[in-house]
Amino acid sequence: MSIYTLGIDVGSTASKCVIIKDGAEITAKALIDVGAGTSGPARAIAAVLENAGMTKEDMAFVMATGYGRNSLDEIADGQMSELSCHARGAHFLFPEVHTVIDIGGQDVKVIEIEDGVMKNFAMNDKCAAGTGRFLDVMARVLEVRVQDLGDLAEKSTRVIGISSTCTVFAESEVISQLSMDTDKCDIIAGIHRSVAGRVTGLARRVGVREQVVMTGGVAQNRGIVKALSEELGCEIHTSPLTQYNGALGAALFAYAKATK
Amino acid sequence: MAIEALVREFEQVAANPQAQLKKYKEAGKKCIGVMPYYAPEELVYAAGMMPFGMWGSNKKTISRAKEYCATFYCTIAQLDLEMLLDGTMDLLDGVITPTICDTLRPMSQNIRVAMSEKLPCIFLAHPQYRKPEFGMKFCHDQYTHIRTELEKIKGSAIADADISEAIRVYNKSRAARRAFVKLASEHCDVITATKRAAVLKASWFMGKDEYTEKLEALNAELSALPVCNWKGTKVVTSGIICDNPTLLKIFEDNNIAIAADDVAHESRAFRVDADETGDPMTALCRQFAEQDYDVLLYDEASNKNRRGEFVAQMVKDSGAQGLVLFMQQFCDPEEMEYPYLKKALEAADVPHIKLGIDQQMRDFGQAATAIQAFADVLEMRK
Repeated sequence: MSIYTLGIDVGSTASKCVIIKDGAEITAKALIDVGAGTSGPARAIAAVLENAGMTKEDMAFVMATGYGRNSLDEIADGQMSELSCHARGAHFLFPEVHTVIDIGGQDVKVIEIEDGVMKNFAMNDKCAAGTGRFLDVMARVLEVRVQDLGDLAEKSTRVIGISSTCTVFAESEVISQLSMDTDKCDIIAGIHRSVAGRVTGLARRVGVREQVVMTGGVAQNRGIVKALSEELGCEIHTSPLTQYNGALGAALFAYAKATK
Repeated sequence: MAIEALVREFEQVAANPQAQLKKYKEAGKKCIGVMPYYAPEELVYAAGMMPFGMWGSNKKTISRAKEYCATFYCTIAQLDLEMLLDGTMDLLDGVITPTICDTLRPMSQNIRVAMSEKLPCIFLAHPQYRKPEFGMKFCHDQYTHIRTELEKIKGSAIADADISEAIRVYNKSRAARRAFVKLASEHCDVITATKRAAVLKASWFMGKDEYTEKLEALNAELSALPVCNWKGTKVVTSGIICDNPTLLKIFEDNNIAIAADDVAHESRAFRVDADETGDPMTALCRQFAEQDYDVLLYDEASNKNRRGEFVAQMVKDSGAQGLVLFMQQFCDPEEMEYPYLKKALEAADVPHIKLGIDQQMRDFGQAATAIQAFADVLEMRK
């Protein structure tokens, strides 16, 4: 009889769930675009169970992770830090991974992996620079949708330098560029370069070893992936499941717990 | 008295310094605020007054101090000024303002400008070159200045014999705290991270006789227990201060115990004793000269990175598996030293994490994630 486990990743801006079968196969997934402290987690759990045609009772173990991991006591059997889960999820998707760069809604994490196990990591300090929140702020100022940033950056012909690492000062710089009629695409390319520079500094604290895998919602932005790849001087691997990577890792840990 | 009761007393003192200040004043004691770092508290004790530690606050919000301080300013120093301005420390009879770092130097002047009409502000400039004869002489001059200013507050002279007695009292207290740190590691199931911090923090707000007597009683109780078979992980903590119970509770939630510390507010403050024989003023100067492996003090052999190696060795000697560095925000000495410390820790294969903290932190979600992940890393290395 198959064993099903559920991983729930409650981030600051989104709630993600993954159900896996026998620790090897993804059965269902769900994502709601609001995170900790909202209805997002409950809705994501309901959605993933519905997608799988299963109930909570069918789950052998439920593991919570992410910023809101401590708020799921009623449904989760355990909780783990998202760093461990991202490492596990990335190793499942990319067995040769040695470095994971996870850019989430409010933080950036760089994880060193050895033989599938997290060996070292670094996180940004209390600063939104280089995070998904930074891109949200910039998209709002530029009056574009955050999901369009990658496509718009590809149209850039001249990358505009955004020197400030602080989100507030960078916003002022962008407004200043807009007032000078600078092309939005060039500004966006500059914003991506700024994020990439910030993340590269953090990554070098840990040490960058290939394969490098990028996870988290920001990995869907091709402009960031390209800028980061150029800054680091290596290929960046991403997966269509990038947003689900933490939940996938949690589901894998849940399977390990269920079969211990 | 049972361990729980003794620890609870220390916790109550640590959580409410203002009540202690009131208690000593009501008992007729003059109280002198002592800011970080390395002020010769023994002189205050010898004057028959109560030295009262000032290491900021985890409960207050900086407001009035902003009038005097730039944004990028250590919150410990800002909160000391805040507590002087908002009346929290109104019962003090004076304040000693050491000037070891670039933040404390201007802060000493801010405090003088803001407070000198209200209470005596005693300026203390330690020598950068601590060990040479000229450094010792400079230190002696400074300590003599402190003594003179304290004598003005006291209204009479401080006798050498009283300073010698103060040195004996303080040495006894330092020895008790060093013993407690070792016992806290051996009995980390009883003395958790929050309890450990509270016991050590209370030393800044209690008369040393009373504190040492209670601590020795606690040490005796702990010594009678079998050494615990700790299944979790152990770390060494490093930094200026890490006394926030909410932050330390995260350690407990993840089965992390503190094996030893390299923290200015804790062990760095009681590593070195003063000579109990000879001229007591010289003994206090010599004690400061012999402080070592401190990020805040100039090291004439700094190019050898002795401090980094010392801290890495401390991790190994204490039986810890890693180090947690509490990086006080806007602390230039700590931030500038970090690359060297990191290099030494990596060379010694000691895993570590750096947590940016300040005393205005109220949300510890990110710290909780980092500490939990670090516990995972340490577990996997076992």
